[in-house]
Amino acid sequence: MALEQELATYKAKLPDLKEHQGKFVLIRGDEVVDFYVAYEDAIKAGYEKFKLEPFLVKQVSVTETVHQFTRRILPYNSERAA
Amino acid sequence: MLDMIVGVSVSRVVALQSEGQPVPASQNVRALVDTGASCTCIDPTVLIALGLQPTGKTLMTTPSTGATPVEADTYDVSIVIPISGKQEPLVRAVISVCTSELIHQGFHALLGRDILKDCHLTYNGSAEFFTLAY
Repeated sequence: MALEQELATYKAKLPDLKEHQGKFVLIRGDEVVDFYVAYEDAIKAGYEKFKLEPFLVKQVSVTETVHQFTRRILPYNSERAA
Repeated sequence: MLDMIVGVSVSRVVALQSEGQPVPASQNVRALVDTGASCTCIDPTVLIALGLQPTGKTLMTTPSTGATPVEADTYDVSIVIPISGKQEPLVRAVISVCTSELIHQGFHALLGRDILKDCHLTYNGSAEFFTLAY
């Protein structure tokens, strides 16, 4: 499933990532690659290092950000759709 | 509603070119300006046409999900909102967007507050128009 391993890595290592709160972490497999101040820089580094292979960019946050929508829509998830 | 252009992010364009792969054509989409959306959201058909794979995960809550947030894919894209005349368009070369099936509602995207926060939105209800300045 897409990014399942990377997300598991993020969750497992989150206690160690706290000092990078607010930054964007780049993760590939079980490797935490680096941290970036800007989302754009993390994405750029991901494509430079891993080309078109899967990688995860996620903002480090002890309290997970939840996006709110007032419209009646259902989140789309590629693995659920497959 | 407004028209916008969704394309592959500039970072992915570089990766595609370095791998000798073609860059998918950008997609013209209809977007609903939605101040009730904290993040811009795009129909998966648009992202599939761009050949994208998710590069992020996030949590979403909507009236359909109930109180418990649901995990969803996010994708890096580029967004251009053209404007008539000689003014420069609004451009986001790399931006993270959420995904939801929207086509059946008559549009491809919700233009959310992640982009609107950099704009000045005025809604003139009695005259039935809005303006978006940036």
